[in-house]
Amino acid sequence: MTAILQALASGLALGAIYGLIALGFNITYATTKTFNFGQGAFLVPGSLVGVSLLLLAAGKPHWGNLAPSEMTLFTYGLATLASVAIVGAIGILLYYCAIKPFVGVGGLNWVLSTIGFGIILQNTALAIWGPASIAVPSPLGNEVYRIAGAGIRPQEVLVAVVAIAVMVGLDFVIRRTRFGKALRAVAFNPQAAAIVGINVEKIVIIAFVISSALAGLAGILIAPITTASVFIGLGVALKAFSAAIVGGLTNARGCVLGGFLLGLIEALVGLWRAEMREITIFLLIIIVLVVRPSGLLGARSVEKI
Amino acid sequence: MINRISRRAVGALLVSTSLAFALPAAAQNEIKIGYNADQSASGAAELGLSGLYGFQAAIEDINAKGGVLGRKLVGVIRDDAASPPKSIQNMNELIDNEKVAAVVGPTNSGNALAWLHIPQQKKVPVVSHVATATDITARYAKEPQNYIFRVSMVDREQLALLAAYAVKASKSKNIAIIADTTGYGQAATKDLQEILALHGIKPVAVEKFGPKDTDMTSQLAKLKAAGADMVVTGSLADATAQVLKSMEKMDYYPGLLSTWGSINTPLINIAGAKLAEKTIFAASTTEDASDHATALHKRLIAKHPNMPAFVSAAQGYDAVMLIAAAIKQAGGTDGDKVQKAMESLGEIQGIIKTYKKPFAKEQHEALGVADFHLAQWKDGRVVKLDNEIVKSLAAADLKR
Repeated sequence: MTAILQALASGLALGAIYGLIALGFNITYATTKTFNFGQGAFLVPGSLVGVSLLLLAAGKPHWGNLAPSEMTLFTYGLATLASVAIVGAIGILLYYCAIKPFVGVGGLNWVLSTIGFGIILQNTALAIWGPASIAVPSPLGNEVYRIAGAGIRPQEVLVAVVAIAVMVGLDFVIRRTRFGKALRAVAFNPQAAAIVGINVEKIVIIAFVISSALAGLAGILIAPITTASVFIGLGVALKAFSAAIVGGLTNARGCVLGGFLLGLIEALVGLWRAEMREITIFLLIIIVLVVRPSGLLGARSVEKI
Repeated sequence: MINRISRRAVGALLVSTSLAFALPAAAQNEIKIGYNADQSASGAAELGLSGLYGFQAAIEDINAKGGVLGRKLVGVIRDDAASPPKSIQNMNELIDNEKVAAVVGPTNSGNALAWLHIPQQKKVPVVSHVATATDITARYAKEPQNYIFRVSMVDREQLALLAAYAVKASKSKNIAIIADTTGYGQAATKDLQEILALHGIKPVAVEKFGPKDTDMTSQLAKLKAAGADMVVTGSLADATAQVLKSMEKMDYYPGLLSTWGSINTPLINIAGAKLAEKTIFAASTTEDASDHATALHKRLIAKHPNMPAFVSAAQGYDAVMLIAAAIKQAGGTDGDKVQKAMESLGEIQGIIKTYKKPFAKEQHEALGVADFHLAQWKDGRVVKLDNEIVKSLAAADLKR
């Protein structure tokens, strides 16, 4: 019984990570029907820039290891803001380099251009930080919370809370605000949106900035769980992308739901056979795509990308 | 104007040619030893970095006593960043361009296995001072001359020690194995199963996890359900740290035995100093193991205050000492003669022990299970483990 409870707790903790990253796919897809295939690489500057700022503030070189005493909730908060701002700014660069030349052209050029941009970003980080991973203590401490025998760490709870908060925020912005209306208008028909006076390019840039900033946020938030490194995004971004597909790319709630679902499957299948985890997840994705092509919560549509 | 430029160019040409002439003259009096190991990238990079400190210290000591055959020893250092292609490139460069007499390295077994054929074909002796894969010294064992030697832990041997300890320490004889899905982790799993079979024990559970996984609670739940009170893991330090963190989540603490990767600081950085104390691992030496070790540790830590993993520094030091002795015995740097000298060395004082005829035709491991002991992190330092179970381990227990 405790084993199942633990698997549920661990699965939700893992799922929150996938969900948080998956949200980054939602906002740009909802606007331009494109998204950043290199999103995983955007976690890299997210984690490393924030951690390096904390290291420099502690008077250490930018690639050392952080001691728990060198991190407070306040400094971690500042580092998070810096990560979000810097990676958000990289989003503008991403738009001009990898999206703008291909928007509205059709074809899959943007897929390769965003992957390529991600690889450039990752290798730039490799040149600056080197390949070693940096252990990051959690600002909330390393104590284990115990619920009926199942353990979970405060940082994992924080990731889940932030994922849900961002989801609610995005949902609200897209459904209830003027900006959200403009976003949806651009997604529905960019030409018509332009005719009614919406600055289409501005909206699209903002979408990419938000998406990138979310990757930055995810990077610094998961660093205390996974360690910060140039390879932080490799495995999780693919799972996050799968989560977005399963839950529905067009729906923020779907992305987070997909994340939790994948995390739970991974932990529960692990109780049975660890090597069956990925097999189960990707089988599920295929089944969902057959039954509901736009994901569990995605809007049904007949158009093709 | 043109005149002035050309005059300058001629001047530069003259300087560079005179340098080019000067270099070989100096080089002839030197004996170069290559160092090709990851010092920056993988979870084992610290072993390569500490190994370098030991390598340099040994060269210093030898040169202080007049070098080898009256010639100065020079270390040529390369970092392969744990990448096999880079490691191969380094190896070719060290042998073909730098003309090194021998090479010490690498850090990662996979890199060794990628380039072993190069020194073997070009007849340049190699001493592996970190990489532990059993196959490294075994691959060319059947050749007339095997150029690959080792002064390090050997996986099969360290796992034999861990298994022996697990069998003694386990009350229920319920022993389990958990390892990552890398080649290293899976080879360790296979070795462990075979060794435990020699003890007449079948592990109650064998689990695996992805090398980047951060939560192993599901796999550990199965070990717990199987009643395992001793768990052996073959993984690098970062993965072992995640296993410990998952154990903490579950409040399930069987004895956790790990390979010497746990000597690296990612273990304490990721798991935290207190949790890191909960694993016992194999080591060839610790800084408190002997007077020689204490002296070298003191000297290196004065120069490199952040030196991690002393163990590989000692191994790097001893590797150079053995190579230098062989070159001296061979009367030169001819690879073929140095290889033969390596196999017929006499008594050499090292840091880990006094080597008495360390290598022979059939024996390319300078260290074996009898030289290894168990260690543990204590207050941020690695110390030798000396409890009742360790004391009760006899030679007959070390089945392999």
